[in-house]
Amino acid sequence: MAWRKPLGRILSVLLPPAFWLGVWQLGACLVELSVRGRGNELLLPYPSTVWNALLRLAGEGPFWGAVLASLGRILAGMAAGTLAGGALAALTAFSRLWDRLLSPAIRVIRATPVASFILLVLLWTDRNAVPAIISGLMVLPVVWANLSRGIRETDGRLLELARAYRFSPWKTLRLIYLPSLRPYFLSAVTTAMGLAWKSGAAAEVLCLPRSAIGTQIYNSKLYLEIPDLFAWTAAVVVLSLLLERVLRQLLSSGDRRWTP
Amino acid sequence: MIRLEHLTLSYGSKPVLKDLSLTLPGSGITAIRGPSGCGKTTLLRVIAGLEAPQSGRVTGISPGETAFLFQDNRLLPWRTVEQHLTDVLPRGRHGEVPRWLELAELTGEEHTFPAALSGGMGRRLALARCLALGGRLYLLDEPFAGVDPDRAGRILDRLKALGTPALLVSHEESVLSGADRMIDLGGPPLTVLSAGPDTGPLFPREKK
Repeated sequence: MAWRKPLGRILSVLLPPAFWLGVWQLGACLVELSVRGRGNELLLPYPSTVWNALLRLAGEGPFWGAVLASLGRILAGMAAGTLAGGALAALTAFSRLWDRLLSPAIRVIRATPVASFILLVLLWTDRNAVPAIISGLMVLPVVWANLSRGIRETDGRLLELARAYRFSPWKTLRLIYLPSLRPYFLSAVTTAMGLAWKSGAAAEVLCLPRSAIGTQIYNSKLYLEIPDLFAWTAAVVVLSLLLERVLRQLLSSGDRRWTP
Repeated sequence: MIRLEHLTLSYGSKPVLKDLSLTLPGSGITAIRGPSGCGKTTLLRVIAGLEAPQSGRVTGISPGETAFLFQDNRLLPWRTVEQHLTDVLPRGRHGEVPRWLELAELTGEEHTFPAALSGGMGRRLALARCLALGGRLYLLDEPFAGVDPDRAGRILDRLKALGTPALLVSHEESVLSGADRMIDLGGPPLTVLSAGPDTGPLFPREKK
């Protein structure tokens, strides 16, 4: 029965989303019942309504503009936050003084409510720049913490080998630190990707840049277009998951060659 | 000649080297034998400059001139067999790779990653890398652990042919008998039981 295997695989992939769509549908039915047919759109629209809203929005020009603008902002923030987090991890790992100075500051950044940052950065800079800065600020401590741990946990025996075999600092970095840090970096950027989208979208809702998914979310709320709110949110979720997947593929493609 | 003068080193309260003095020949293969835990590895590590003695000194060789083979292989999981050798060879000498592979009987494994090597092959790769690194003195800690005796004998002959003096720690009789000289050690703390006829004078020998 050759058809059984692929069928089983398709079923196992489709089952979880189907289940949750069913739960959503049921919830929307219950809401409609409890409001006695006066329209459940305001509280919890049906999945099909949201799907139609998404299709309608996707057919309009501003949708793709907003998606691309948000994507660009979040990727820019992500890249800047990752670079800064990596540089700071190197600095705090190899210098006692910098560690004493910077580590508490980075922990403060991590503990500060994102809303406070958004409002502060909005006061200091242009509204269009806020989402990228916020994404970067949220990504930085995650990358820093992961890479710091990775540097600390790099095999001391390999580092001793590098010393005994007269590796230059650059060679030690290239042959020992970077490959050892790879799994830490992968886990950092995949966690950071989700954070960047969430914080970036929140910043967009509060700062309302000209073209942005967050601005559209705010408008949907303002005009009580709740299916649109769901549709924009779905767009963010899909983009975030998609990018996480792409990153994971890119970063782990080299590993399969040498792992047993 | 390499002289170890009044070396003292302890880990915590446990003395490993206690006023140890020994002269090592500047040529040939010198085998070191002794019960495990007597401080042989520590002795090699001090000569390689990986461990600083609390007192005493090593003359006749500086740490930058030695090539040390660790007791554990310390291969890099993400580098192929060939890359392990090019990593230690200067850029202009990458052409030597086949020669070193042949010496360690690893020809044909150029593109294999360490995870796919057997225990003995991993050991031979670590040895080949150490030999390719080169220097004025090889310090080899159990170079043939897990390598079958016939092969170990062949590799030892090739090592001799290189002409670089080597100090090697070993338990295998076949290896010990192939060495030019043998030093018997006891301990801890490390003591020289017999240093063979060719090792030159031993100074302030055991006081006990």
